[in-house]
Amino acid sequence: MRVVIAEDDALLREGLSLLLKTAGIEVAAAVDNAEDFLAFVEKERPDAVVMDVRMPPTHRDEGLRAAVRAREIHPALPVLVLSAHVETSYAVELLADGVGGVGYLLKERVGKVERFLDALQRVAKGGTAMDPEVIGQLMARRRTADPLEALTAREREVLGLMAEGYNNSTIAELLVVSDGAVLKHIRNIFAKLGLPSDEGAGHRRVLAVLAYLGRDAGSAGTTPHPGARGISAVPAVP
Amino acid sequence: MERWIGGSASTTTAVGWDTVRVTTRLRECWSAVRYLVVGAGTSLLSLFALAGLFAVLLLCPFGVGIPSLAPMIRLARWPVGVDRRRAARKLGEPIPEPYRAGSPLKDPATRRDLAWLAIHAATGTIIGVLAFGLPLGAVQQVITSFVWPLVPGGIEGSLGIVVDSWPKAALDLLVAAAMVVATLQLPRVARWQARTARKLLAPAPGVVLADRVAELTATRAAALEAHGAELRRIERDLHDGTQARIAAVVLQLGIAGQLYDRDPAMARDLLGKAQDTATDALAELRTVVRSIYPPLLSERGLAGAVRALAERSPVPAVVDVEYETGRPAAVEAAAYFVVAEVLANVTKHADASEVDIVLGGTASVLTLEIRDDGRGGADESRGSGLAGIRRRAEAFDGTLTLTSPPGGPTVLRVELPCGS
Repeated sequence: MRVVIAEDDALLREGLSLLLKTAGIEVAAAVDNAEDFLAFVEKERPDAVVMDVRMPPTHRDEGLRAAVRAREIHPALPVLVLSAHVETSYAVELLADGVGGVGYLLKERVGKVERFLDALQRVAKGGTAMDPEVIGQLMARRRTADPLEALTAREREVLGLMAEGYNNSTIAELLVVSDGAVLKHIRNIFAKLGLPSDEGAGHRRVLAVLAYLGRDAGSAGTTPHPGARGISAVPAVP
Repeated sequence: MERWIGGSASTTTAVGWDTVRVTTRLRECWSAVRYLVVGAGTSLLSLFALAGLFAVLLLCPFGVGIPSLAPMIRLARWPVGVDRRRAARKLGEPIPEPYRAGSPLKDPATRRDLAWLAIHAATGTIIGVLAFGLPLGAVQQVITSFVWPLVPGGIEGSLGIVVDSWPKAALDLLVAAAMVVATLQLPRVARWQARTARKLLAPAPGVVLADRVAELTATRAAALEAHGAELRRIERDLHDGTQARIAAVVLQLGIAGQLYDRDPAMARDLLGKAQDTATDALAELRTVVRSIYPPLLSERGLAGAVRALAERSPVPAVVDVEYETGRPAAVEAAAYFVVAEVLANVTKHADASEVDIVLGGTASVLTLEIRDDGRGGADESRGSGLAGIRRRAEAFDGTLTLTSPPGGPTVLRVELPCGS
C-alpha cells in the first residue's frame, strides 16, 4: 500500500512516516502543506491519504478542502483525516459524496497503533472510520422523544461502533462477545429504530446509521430541515 | 388670499419675478407664522413654568420648597419638551433629550432648560403676537386706505392715525408696506427661534462626551472584570486538569523507565496507562480550547461556526448570513458564544419549533438577530442566561434588545461594534 502523508507538524509527520514504514506500508510522500499534496495527487493516485486539517498558509481548513478536492480528482480516493478536534460538520462534508473510503479521527488515536492501522486499512478498502467523539457528539444531541432511549446500554455501544465503521467481527472482538451476540444486538437496534433490517454491509451500513443519528430531533422519517444540513444530507443509501 | 397671489403673479411676471419663488416665499411665511403663533402658546407655558419654579424657590427657606424643587423641574421639562420636538420638526432633524438619570438638580441640562424657559418666556409671546398681527395688520391697512371715504369721520388705523384724507391714506399704505416687509422676515425669526431651541435643548457637546466617557468607563470596568474571571477560569481548568494529568504522565513514564529491565510486563502496562492519561489530558485541553476560542471559528469563520452550531441545535435552526467578512477575533468569538448561549436557552425554555438566526451588519458593526417561535415571555431579570449575554455584549460596547411578549415570538438582537 502506498500512502501520502500531509501534516505540517514535523514531529507528527516523521512519527507517522516511521509508524507506517514499520507496519510495512510504503510512504510515497510526506508533505507539509496542501498545495504540495495536491500537486502530488494530480500526478499519481496513492492507495490512501493521511491528512491534517489545519495547514499552511492560512492554518484554517485547507487540509479538509484539499481532501475533498483530491476526491474530485480521483473519485473514492481513500482519505483519513486527522485533527486536533473533531466537528460533526466536517464529517458530514467528508461523507457527502456517499462513496466511502473516508476516515476522520482525532490525532491522538494514532497512539493506539493497531487500531489506527486497522482504521487506515478499512478506509483504504472503501470503508469508514469515524472517531468515537464524532459519534458521541451525534448521540448526545438532545432530541424530543429520543428513540435512542429505547436501546439498552450494550445496544448503544454496538450502534456507536457500527457508526465508527467497524464490521461485526471486530465489534464482537472489541466487546468480547460472540459474533452471534453482535448479530442479535444489531437486529434489535434496527428493529427498535425502525431502520430497514438489511442495510447491507460495510460503508452502506455506516452511512445508514450516521444518517439516522444525524436526523433532526423528533422528525424521524421526514426530510431534514431545509436550513439544517445534518448528516441526513448524506445521499440516501440505495 | 389666493386671488391676491394670482394677481401678484400676473403683474410680477412682467417685472421679471419668478412665480415659483414668490409662492415658496409665501409658503415659508405661512409656516413661520404658524410656528411662531404656536410658539406664543409655549412661551406662555414657559412663563407659567418659570413662575412655578420661582414660587417653589421662594418656599425653599421654609423647608417645604426643597423637596418639591426636583419634581417642579421635571414638570417644567414638559413645555421644554414640546419646544424641543417643535424645533426638531422645523429643522428637519431629531434633537435628542439631554437628560441624565438621577436628580435633575445635578443635571447640567437643567441650567440650559432654564435659560431656554427665560428666553422663550421673554420673547416668544411678543414674537408670536407680531407674527399673528403683522400680516393681518397689513391687510387691514390696505383695506382702510381704500374704503375710508365710505366711512364718515374716517377710520382709525393701527398706529393711531385716523385716515380721513388721501395723504393720510398714503401714509397708511406706507405703514402697510413696512408691515409686509416685516412679515417677509418672519421665516428668519422662526428659524432663529428653532435654532436657539436646538442650541439650548440638545445635549451640550461636552456633556455628550462626558456621558460617553462615563459609559465607556463602566463597560470597560465590567469587561476587565469579565476578562479577569475568564483568565482565572482558564488557569484553574489548565492547572487542575491538564497540568495535573501531564505531570502524572511524566511520573508514569519515569516509573516505566525504572521498571524496564526488572519487570518489562509492568513497564509496558505503565506505558499504556501513561498513554491513556495523556489522551485524557488532550480531551480536557480540547474542552478548554473550545471555551477560549472555538477552533471552528478560525477554520471556518463566524458564519461557518454558527452554521455548525445551528446543525447541532436540537431545535431546528436556520442561519441567514447577510454580511460575511472577517471581524476582530474577539468580536466573532463573543457573537459565537452569544448564539451558543441563546440556542441553549431556546432549547431549555422556549418550547420552540424553529429558530432563525440572521448574521448581518456592516464592516463597523456586527448584528445578530435570533428569533424563535416559542412561548415568549423571556425575562432578563429572572436569571436566565440573558443577563450574561448582555454583559458579553456590553463588554464590547455593544447592545442587546429583547422583545418577548407572552405567547412569542422572542426576538433577540445584539449589536457589536467592531472597532475603528
